[in-house]
Amino acid sequence: MTVNAAPFVEITAVSKRFAAVEALSGVSLTVDRGEVVCLIGPSGSGKSTLLRSINGLEPIDSGKVIFDGIDVHGRGADIRKIRQRMGMVFQSFELFPHMTALANVMVGPEKVLRLPVAEAKSRADLLLAKVGLSDKADAHPAQLSGGQQQRVAIARALAMQPAVMLFDEPTSALDPETIGEVLNVMKRLADEGMTMIVVTHEMSFARRVADRIAVFDRGRIIEVGPPSQIFDHPTVQRTKEFLSHLGWDAAPIVHSE
Amino acid sequence: MTFDWSVIIDNWPRLLHGAGNTILLAVCTMALALPGGLLLAALRMTPWAPIRGFATAFVEFFRTTPVILQVYWVFYVLPVMTDIRLSAFGTGLAALTLNVSAFNSETFRAGLNSIRLGQRNAGLSLGMSDWQVLRLVILPQAVPRVLPALASTWVSLFKDTSLVSVIAIDELSYVGLQLRSQTFRVLEVLTAMAVLYWIMGYPQAKLVDWIHRRIKVAE
Repeated sequence: MTVNAAPFVEITAVSKRFAAVEALSGVSLTVDRGEVVCLIGPSGSGKSTLLRSINGLEPIDSGKVIFDGIDVHGRGADIRKIRQRMGMVFQSFELFPHMTALANVMVGPEKVLRLPVAEAKSRADLLLAKVGLSDKADAHPAQLSGGQQQRVAIARALAMQPAVMLFDEPTSALDPETIGEVLNVMKRLADEGMTMIVVTHEMSFARRVADRIAVFDRGRIIEVGPPSQIFDHPTVQRTKEFLSHLGWDAAPIVHSE
Repeated sequence: MTFDWSVIIDNWPRLLHGAGNTILLAVCTMALALPGGLLLAALRMTPWAPIRGFATAFVEFFRTTPVILQVYWVFYVLPVMTDIRLSAFGTGLAALTLNVSAFNSETFRAGLNSIRLGQRNAGLSLGMSDWQVLRLVILPQAVPRVLPALASTWVSLFKDTSLVSVIAIDELSYVGLQLRSQTFRVLEVLTAMAVLYWIMGYPQAKLVDWIHRRIKVAE
């Protein structure tokens, strides 16, 4: 089997315990190049923990995460090199508040990739334009709305030219009226062929954009499949319950663009 | 009751010399207690429990006992226990440095802990090293936050230098108290001391207020 035929991200039997709580119990999942996989499920079911374990922010107790042939949690893994190829977007944005929007996007290319300042800046300019915030380049995060901050955060992650983007509930901290602008940026990324793993509660986004959806419940993945299966013909009772809990089958929520 | 200020005028050089030593002692103490505090804060955040325990005990001891006792302790007990013999100035400097380092370490720790974990994760997820995260992400946010507390510690330290007069360091208090017992001009000498401390301390207190205001505006 050639490297390209293997899954781009291969998660095998990952377990993680926090004191008395089994956050992940033997979770396995594969993500192919260019695929968009959404992780859904109740709060505390392990989605975010799994996402953080993919780029090594969360140590795991057992199991394996293989990214492009590299064992992320392996002893010899150069975790910094791995992270440079995985962009991450956080629920609470985590922009650096002492830097302007432009500086936030530049800091990775300039300080981590050691690009010349001019090159880092032109890359950052392009990305701010891509997320529609060229006019906010000199603004500090505190001067931006939540949606704008999250778009800058996406640009910051993209500035490293990652091979995978990890999104950890990117719209959960946003006002309803700014959720759409962030989801649009994410949808465009998906359309461009970016490999994406997205923890989300936005079911309409998951349905429209995901290639596959993994449903979490109490530290396990209980069902994986394309959106049509998960939303229209779930095979697991807990999936049905979770979705109906969100009011999905009663009144589908559609976000206007 | 008549005041005779000639005693102050005649002994002006001695008082000035004392005031100079007060400033020198405070500056040297803070210059050592800033890295000292950082070191203690770092020790208290290491993964090794025995080191953490030692640093915590050290900090708690110096925060919860009187400075004057610490000065006496370094002066009388330390030489017997360790064979380290310091000059009077060195003794005062050592005692104050230990004390202020303990306070500074708490300030630094609070400052570093006030930056939420997500900021660190954001830096790490860009591929930064731990050192880059500290230098580019954490410190630029933490330093402005700890400045007001450091400035307050400085003002306290400046006044606390008077305590080392008990071990005959000729800073302002010692010089003043000597002068008092030599001339018996108690009222004049104590008043002059108060004025000198105030002249030196007031601008510092104002500076601290200004720093507090600046930081508040910036946040």
